[in-house]
Formats: sequence, structure tokens, C-alpha cells
Amino acid sequence: MPPLISSAIILRHVDYGEADRIVTVLTPDHGRLKGFARGARRSRKRFGTALEPFAEVRLHWVPRPGGELVSLREAELVSLRTGLRRDLETLALAGYGCELTEALFDEAVGFAEAFGLLRAFLDHLDAAGASAGARLLMELRLLTLAGIVPHLQHCAECHGALPEGPVGFDAGRGGSLCPGCGGAAAGLRVDRLTLGSLGRLLQTPLERFADIRLSPRTLQEGGALLADALRGHLPKPLKSAAFLAGL
Amino acid sequence: MLDSIPSFARLVAELAKFPGVGTKTATRLAFYLLRQPDAAAAALATAIVDLKRNTRFCSVCFHITEQDPCPLCVDPARDGSLLCVVEEPQAVLAIERSRSFRGRYHVLHGALSPLDGIGPEELRIAPLLDRLKAGEISEVLVATNFTVEGDATALYLARLIQPLGIRTTRLAYGIPMGSELEYVDEATVQRAVQGRREL
Repeated sequence: MPPLISSAIILRHVDYGEADRIVTVLTPDHGRLKGFARGARRSRKRFGTALEPFAEVRLHWVPRPGGELVSLREAELVSLRTGLRRDLETLALAGYGCELTEALFDEAVGFAEAFGLLRAFLDHLDAAGASAGARLLMELRLLTLAGIVPHLQHCAECHGALPEGPVGFDAGRGGSLCPGCGGAAAGLRVDRLTLGSLGRLLQTPLERFADIRLSPRTLQEGGALLADALRGHLPKPLKSAAFLAGL
Repeated sequence: MLDSIPSFARLVAELAKFPGVGTKTATRLAFYLLRQPDAAAAALATAIVDLKRNTRFCSVCFHITEQDPCPLCVDPARDGSLLCVVEEPQAVLAIERSRSFRGRYHVLHGALSPLDGIGPEELRIAPLLDRLKAGEISEVLVATNFTVEGDATALYLARLIQPLGIRTTRLAYGIPMGSELEYVDEATVQRAVQGRREL
């Protein structure tokens, strides 16, 4: 069987035995794949540096009937994104973006928009470095693509309008809550202006990260809101999130 | 089949636990041992037991050793102001083989990994800082691998060490000796161009 060729972003890899490597990648047409790269650590001819995390490659691979692991034959490097290694925060945020994408799109089903979003996120970090705004945009857009973004600009329970000023937010109940639905007792308080900003961000192009400025309040309240929303949808806490928090 | 020869099956099972050794290779090795004289098999068994019994990690640099502190830490001919930080003991052996470094070492026993959640507390970084604060060291050469994990570790160490006023350097990137540019990957060429120097 001739190999299939896909664009792919390397999410991570683990060494196997003396010379092999198991690589997890995201592709636009086949979703998340796990592949076995025989001899990848010993021979630099077929893979070179192309299997490093965050790299974008043209991947030559062959499905293996009945097995989860595909066979990786060759990887042509498109971009290694060496700018991600400029500082620890950028490196850690790139890792977080990859882990979060994998956690929310953990199936071998094509999702070109998620691939495009991760590519744009990594390219932005590669060029501009880490920022709280890039993280917030990535989280918000991934939640949107996964179809689990919380109700922001109206009450999640009665669908009524929200009052001006701070309102309650509880991701477990669907999102923003008006006073009549018990918003005052919700764990998070988020200003209506922040919810409006997040709503407007949902209208921006999915792959645009540059030149979007967010106020400190939007970053702080929006970050807490998205963390609350993600918590309910992730099967376990992300290792890279704990690493980022420890920096 | 092997179940009828329990001692043979047990050896195959133990050998197959080695990295890179599958059942086929383990079986081949077991047949090889079977054909050796008793003394050869006993020597192998003794070598394994002695390795486990006599070696430990040096309490200063955390390299493997039979005496504590290790010979590298007590050798008066080595430069005590120069410290090389590596991920694993194998890296010490690689650098020693090159005969290019005459300072002392510190083995971290791992590397930071954002994706695996391996943080600084899981590495031998606290004892490294204790050594640096003792005041003898004037330069730290960070010789971690050129992987995402190695780069993360180097960036983290630089952040800790530079405020102490200690010169912090890293191994140079470059084109391997004897290789032709045409066949070197673009990332290595890119780093080599960035790290060019005067002739």
C-alpha cells in the first residue's frame, strides 16, 4: 500500500526501546494520529529533527489494520518553529496549546479548523512569544470549535438579558447567570463588559492572533471564566497547565 | 513451548525487560548463555550483582560511582571553577570521551518537560543551587540535550543561575564534523548560521 501524505503538527513523542519513537500528531483530515517511527532516534535520514514537538511536517504514513498505531515512513520538515524556544513561558504555552487541543479533539477524525487554529497559535507564539491574550484566545476558540463554549451574553438558564455590572458565572450550570436564576450565589463574578469582549472575540477570524488587544480585566476575568469552563470538559488536569502555573 | 523449561523461560523473560530487547532477541541471548561455560555465566551474574551492590550516585555531582564523592569530584587536577550540567550520567561519559572539558559535573537525572508535567522539583536542581551558592564556581556550562525538554531545562537554569552573578554558557549548535552542508537538516543549518564566529 502506498503511503498516505498529510500535513501534520507534532504534538509529542515518547521514546520506545533503543531506537524507536511513538509520535502523536494532529492532521487536518485524519485528526489525531499515533504513529510508530522505527529507528527515528538512531537514523536521522528519514525523520531528522522533524519529529520534535511543535514541528509542522508533511508526514508519510501507512495505516495498520486493527491497530491504533500507524506506521510512519518519512517526515519532511515544513517548520520547526525554533522561535518557540526563546523563553520558558513561550515553550510552556506552546505545550499547553498542543495538550489542550489533543484533550478536546482526541479522535482520529478530521477536523481541519482545529488543525488550522493550532497552526496559527503556534505560528503566533513562534513570531511574537507568549502572552496572556494568546492563551485566552486559544482557549475560547477551542471551546467554540468543540461546541462547548458557555453561554456568555445571556442567562444560561432563563436565556434572559443580563444586568449591567458584575454577574454570576457557573460553567457547571451552562455559563452566565442572571440574578433571578441565582447568579449572585455563583462562584465566579464577571463584569458584563468582559462577557461582551469575549462575545466580540468569538466574531474574530479563527486564525488571527496578532493585533488583538485585551484589557487587564478581560484577561483576568476571562481567564478565570475559561478555566472554569475547561475544568468541566477535561477528563483530567493538564500537565502543561500545572507546569505553566509553576513558572 | 518454553513453559516446559522454566529456568530458560525465566531468563528469557528477564532479558526481554532490557530496553530494545524483544522476546526473539532474549531467546537468542539465552541460547548463547546456555552454550557458554559455567564460569562465563557466573561471571555475568556476579557482574550484575556487583553493579547493583557497589555503585551509587555521588552525593556531590550525582554521577554513578563506587566511591563517594566520585573520582571526578575529588580529582585535584580538574578545574573547580567550571561546572558542566548534564541530564543523565551517559552525557558525562560522552563529554569525558571527547577530552575537551576539565571542570566538574552535575547530573540532573532528567529534564524539564512541560508536556509530561516534569517540573524542577523532580530534578537535582536544589543541590545544584547549593553548590553554586558555596561560591567556588564561576561558570556553568549547560550541556542539556537539544530537544524541547533540554531547551526548557537550559532556559530554566539560566533564569536561576544568572542572578547569582555566575557566567552561564551552553554547548554550541553546529554542523557535525565530517558532514556536508547539503545533507544537514535546515534547523541545524539555521542554528549554525546564527552561531557563526570570526575566523
